[in-house]
This record gives sequence, structure tokens and C-alpha cells, in this order.
Amino acid sequence: MNNIALGRYLPLNSCIHSLDPRTKIIALILMMVAIFIPAGWLGYLLIGTAVLILTMLAKLKISFLWRSMKPMLFMLFFLLIINVIVIHEGTVLIAVGSFAVYSEALFQTLYIVVRLMLMIMLTTVLTATTKPLDLTLGIEDLLSPFKVIHVPSHEIAMMISIALRFIPTLIEETQRIMKAQASRGVDMEEGSFKEKLMAILSLIVPLFVSAFQHADDLANAMEARGYVPDRPRTRYKQLKMLKRDYITLSTALLILVLLIGLAWLR
Amino acid sequence: MPITFKELTHEYNAGTPFAYLALDAIDLSITEGAITAIIGETGSGKSTLVQHLNALLLPTKGSLTVLDRTITAAEKPKQLKELRKRVGLVFQFPEYQLFEETIAQDIAFGPKNFGMSEEEALCKAKEMLQVVGLSEDYLERSPFELSGGQKRRVAIAGILAMDPEVLVLDEPAAGLDPQGAKDMMKLFVRLNKEFHKTILLVTHDMEHVLNYCDHVVVVDNGHIVQTCDKLHFFRDTSLLHKLRINPPAIIRLRDELNQRGFELPCDILDTEVLAKAIADEVKHHE
Amino acid sequence: MKKIQVSHLSFGYHKENRVIHDASFSIEEGSYTTIIGHNGSGKSTIAKLMIGLLESDSGVITVDGLELSEENIHDIRDRIGIVFQNPDNQFIGASVADDIAFGLENHRVPSEQMQGIIEEFADRVNMRKFLNSEPTKLSGGQKQRVAIAGVLAMKPQIIIFDEATSMLDPQGKAEINALIQDIHAQSNLTIISITHDIEEVAHSDHVIVLDSGRIVLDGSPDEVLFHEQELIDLSLDIPFALKLQHALKRQGLETKPCTTMEGVVDELCRLRLKN
Repeated sequence: MNNIALGRYLPLNSCIHSLDPRTKIIALILMMVAIFIPAGWLGYLLIGTAVLILTMLAKLKISFLWRSMKPMLFMLFFLLIINVIVIHEGTVLIAVGSFAVYSEALFQTLYIVVRLMLMIMLTTVLTATTKPLDLTLGIEDLLSPFKVIHVPSHEIAMMISIALRFIPTLIEETQRIMKAQASRGVDMEEGSFKEKLMAILSLIVPLFVSAFQHADDLANAMEARGYVPDRPRTRYKQLKMLKRDYITLSTALLILVLLIGLAWLR
Repeated sequence: MPITFKELTHEYNAGTPFAYLALDAIDLSITEGAITAIIGETGSGKSTLVQHLNALLLPTKGSLTVLDRTITAAEKPKQLKELRKRVGLVFQFPEYQLFEETIAQDIAFGPKNFGMSEEEALCKAKEMLQVVGLSEDYLERSPFELSGGQKRRVAIAGILAMDPEVLVLDEPAAGLDPQGAKDMMKLFVRLNKEFHKTILLVTHDMEHVLNYCDHVVVVDNGHIVQTCDKLHFFRDTSLLHKLRINPPAIIRLRDELNQRGFELPCDILDTEVLAKAIADEVKHHE
Repeated sequence: MKKIQVSHLSFGYHKENRVIHDASFSIEEGSYTTIIGHNGSGKSTIAKLMIGLLESDSGVITVDGLELSEENIHDIRDRIGIVFQNPDNQFIGASVADDIAFGLENHRVPSEQMQGIIEEFADRVNMRKFLNSEPTKLSGGQKQRVAIAGVLAMKPQIIIFDEATSMLDPQGKAEINALIQDIHAQSNLTIISITHDIEEVAHSDHVIVLDSGRIVLDGSPDEVLFHEQELIDLSLDIPFALKLQHALKRQGLETKPCTTMEGVVDELCRLRLKN
């Protein structure tokens, strides 16, 4: 569990950590758009530099970002193979008999790799510097204008935060049930297909039973404490935009405009 | 043959920044054929200790001998499956391990995993359901229709059906009402007396220790701080107070009366005997 | 003054099997009432009916002069707080402060007043140091203390403890029991405790005994606990104090009947010094 880097919050103390979550979400969206603007290598250099500065400001280690990308490596390798087979443009780089690797295949793969890497790095910076609950608050606030078209922003936020709250509880429960079933001779790794199926069932069914129990109790506890889904509530945690938030947003916007400019010049 | 721990150490996440020493070179011997209570605060290491008994956890250092097997850090987990059959481990709230369609199938699940034929296992299920005090009518019903206490009995029957020689239970009476808890404890006494099972019981309830157990092991902060028989254990309650555990009512009464000038002997665990001692002292006080 | 009045209350999840049968009782303002009965006797169901989490089939529940109905269910819930059994399943917030805030948010307390209230009640249950702690870092007893703070912060007049200590270790049990006693001593709150702890029953003001959804005994601890045979027949515990007094009687020592340990100790010391 301690090795998963993607989506994990790191409780550090940096200027990026203290930004308003709404700022970080909007800036992320702006940068994502910028990544998809075809501004050539110069554009990616610009965004790449911005991401590196961001990482440093957030006091994150490059190795942490690298670990969050690792799960994607297999997918990228697969993509490379497909591109090599499908794309027959540009100059021939290697030719073995009738099989040839074209330069364009490598370039296009590299394009996608760079885009994906930048996207993952940006997302990792967001999740590593923002507590899940603050992220939910940010999403709730950003979605609130859509209430007029009946987007249940508050309910969505409440559901996400409860799900996040119960993840550790359910992980703990999973471990306990696994141990209990192992004591009854269940072997999660070995055995025939039928035995494996039973092993999985012996874990899933109890987990569902207990999840329903949690949900039932929790609904009672929430109702007893006066929660009514569609009734207006006040909020303990107020988000506040400060000067640094406006600076961050302006910077992100500037990068986007620069990229649009670059693309237009090409 | 007793169960013996020899300088057994268990460290979670050893070698990482999250390393946590749960058991620190413990030496312990548990008498065969007896009911032994294991007590200690939450996080004292008692759960880690019992999970070694069926090799769910392996020692980081040191060794453990249970039945005729010696388990060390170098053990290959694969060869340990046989031990899981011979040492039945019942976790806290075992009702959460039920998953089969019928009670009969659920009880038969363990024995089948250990190679018993379907027929034999179902036969065993029938037998064990009776041992835990439920009638045969339940066999074909869904385990999810039962009350909490009944579910727990079925879960325990599922372990008993593996016919373990040693039975380890982590707080088997938690959450039951007083009568349910008493019936549960009486079941373990019967399994011990009639079926000669060695029983280890993690418990918080000192009334249960007093009424149903033979020996007591106290775990504190990864160390064994006391191992003795219960008579000896209840002589002096200072350790219990240190662990912030309320002694049983009869012991509290004895201590309180002695503090107020009575001179009651410290080896009385029976209400009638204590009443006699009190009556004698009240009548003959000069 | 009667704080809660329940008359002819009946309830069943299915029409055929009733969980509560024609239950009537009343609870005095500021009293400490215990409700006992074996598991499945309907104790928790009664609690859920009183705060309107379940709707009765027939009968009337009156809280503070207000008759429970669909319209005033929220007014009733403002008056009654409840602490449930499982500490994990009632911790809603991501941290202690967030959890105490949950009820305040529902009651539309202005945001700027919340921090003060949260700190006050975290202090009350001795959890001030843990305001930013996540639930996974807390013990069962600490989580229950947070639940109590969350309930107290809504300034209820009645608190129901539905086996609030039954899933805790001895240390947690002792902490929570002491806290409940302290809250009762320091305030005029009406306390209803659903419990299996017969010693707690002996120290309460009022006991209600349930069996298969029926109220079988209702009165002061002495009135109820002296019905020993009935309690035994209902497979309920009787206090050790009474068991001892019977044993003493068999040894030829008559004592003044008493249900609490302290009472017996005092009585025995008195008798000893008299001789």
C-alpha cells in the first residue's frame, strides 16, 4: 500500500499545498488544455519547465512523480508497438527484411508519451498537495453554479467524501476477512479455477455484507444528526482565494495564451 | 506437548520507515489441554501473538513450537497449510466470514479446503451445528437470516468442523448480550472438557477469565508481563489496575472490604466461599 | 416533568411479526434511564422510533410536549441526540473537527461561529488535542468521545446512548462511562442508556426491561432488580450485590437488601463494627 504514488496525498508544507483547491483544479484544467494545443516542441518545453518548477515549489521528489507514472509504462510500450506496425511515414530508420520502422512512428509515440507524462505529473502534483476532502470542497464549489441545471453538486461532494472516509476502514476489513478465510484453508494464490473462484467469493460476499452494514448505520447516524440531503446547510470549511491564487491562475492562463500564440505562428 | 514461544520477535514493515515492533523477544509456554486467557490493552501485541499460532504471521526472529511443528522466520508458507487445519483460529466478529448459500455449505467450506470429501464435510457440518447448539433444521437455511449470536455460532462451527486440536478465539463474546456470552463461554468449556481441545482465548472480560479459564497470560507493549494460573492472577489486582481493566465483581468486593478493615483471604474465587468468610468475620469481630 | 411520553407504541418490519408490542412508558426530565433486555428484544428499535428513524404502526410518542409526526420530526431531532454502538459507522467527517462540524452544518450554524463551538465541545470530551486527527488514528473510545461531542454541540435536551460502550475495550468503556456520568452530573440533560451493564442499571434513576418487544418491568432500580426471578427467567443478569446477599443469607447473615456494590460494602462494614 505504501508504494502507490498515483493519487496519494503527501502532507508537506509548501506554497502549492496552501493554494486554494479551486485554484489548483482550474489551473490543472487550463494546463491540460494547453497540453493538447499543437504548439510543437517549444510548447512542450515551456509546459515541461512549468511542471518542473511546480514540482520543486511543491517540495515533491522527482522519484515520487516517476513512481506515479510507472503503472503507465506498460501501456506506452504497447502503444509504441502499435505505432511501429501501423505508421509508415517519414524516413525508414531500421529495416529487417520486409519489416521497417519509420521515423514518424517514433515521433508520434514520443508526442503521446510526452503529453501523457505531463498530464500525469500535473495530476500527481494536484493530488499530492491537496487533501482529498479539500479537493471535494473545491469540486463542490466549482460545480455549484451548475445547480441551476440541477447538478447535485453538494450530494456529489458528500458522496465522494464519505467514500474517501471509508476506504481505510474497508481495506482493514478486507485484510481481516482474508486472514479469517486463510484460517479456513483458503489459498488466494494456488488451486484450480473453481477453488480460486470460491476464494474470491469468500472475500467479496462478506465484504459486501459489511459494506451494506456500514452504509445502513451511517445513514442512520447522518439522519439522526439532522442531515437532509436537499436542505441547505452551512459549511465549516470556507475556501478563500488569496493573492497567490490569482497569481497562479494568471500564470496558468498566460501559459495557455502563449501556447495558442505559438500554435498560431506555426 | 505445550505451545512454546522462544524469543519470538515480530516486526511489521521491517526495514521501512513504518517499522513497528509488535512482539519483542517473547518467551511463553501455554499448557496443553487447558483454557488460557490472553489479556492486554488494544495494541499490546496480543492479536499479533495469536496470529502466529496458525502461521498467518511468521516470526521475524525466534521460533514457535505448536503441536509437533517448529516455525521459524525461514519457514516456507506453503508447508504451513496443514497447521491451519490443526490450529483453528476464530477472528473477532467471525459472523463476517460467512458467505455460502446455506449454513451446511458454509460450515463444510473449511473441511473441504483441507481435502475432505463433500459428503464427509456435510456430515461434519451437521454434527458441529449441534455441538454449537443449533438444531438440524438450520442446515439448509441461509446464514444471513440468522441473528447475530446465531451467525457467530455457525462461524465457530465452521472452524470446529476442521477438527482442530488447538482452538484460538479472539474475543468470541464481544457484542453478545450477557446470556449469549455465558452460553458461548460454556460451549468452550465443553469443547475443552469433552473434546479435549486446547483453548486460547483473547478476552477483555475478567468475569469470563474468573469463571471459565484456567491460566492467564498478560501482554503489555509487546512483552509478556505475567503467566500464571487464575488463582494466583486474582490474588493481587495491582497489575489489572495498571492496565486499566476493571477486576471481576467478587474481587472488587474483596479488595474494598479489605481496605475497610476486613481480613479476607486472597485466594477465594467463589461467591459462596467468600460469603462464608465474610459472615464469619462479621459475626466474630471483636 | 415528563420529558418523553410513549403510549401504546407498536411497530413491525413486517405485518406478521411485531418487534414492539403496545409499549407505554414515560421518562422524567433530567433523569438517567436505563433500558435493558437481551439482544433482539427491541431496545434499539425503541430508540430509533423515538428519534423518528423508524415510523411506528400505531401509538404516540411525545417529546417535550411535541407529538412526533412527519411535520415536526426535525424539531424532535433537535431535542434528542443519539450515540450509536459502532464507533466507526458514525464518524462522518474526515477529521475530528469536521465530524463535530457535521451536525452544526445541518443545523445551519453560521460558518464563522463553528470553530468556537467545535473547540468548546472537543474540550468537553477531552479531544482538543486531536482536532485534526483522522478517524483511523483514533481508538474506539476516542471515536465515541467525538460522537458525544458532536451530539452535545447541537445542544440537545435528551441523549440516547444505544449500547455506546459495547464495542469498546475496557479502557474505552471506562472512559465513556465516566464521561456519561460526568455529563449527567454537570447538566440537566435527560439520559437514556440502552445497556447490558447491570451495575450501570443499579446506579440509574429508572429502569425499563424489554422482552420480545413488550415492556415487562418498569420502575426504580430497586423496584426492578428485586424481581430477581423474573430477571433470571428473562435470561438477564442480576447485580453481584444481590447474589452475594443471598449467599450471605445462606451463611446466616441477614443484610439490608441493596443493589449496588457500595451499598453492600457499607452495610457489611456497619454490621462488622456493630458486633
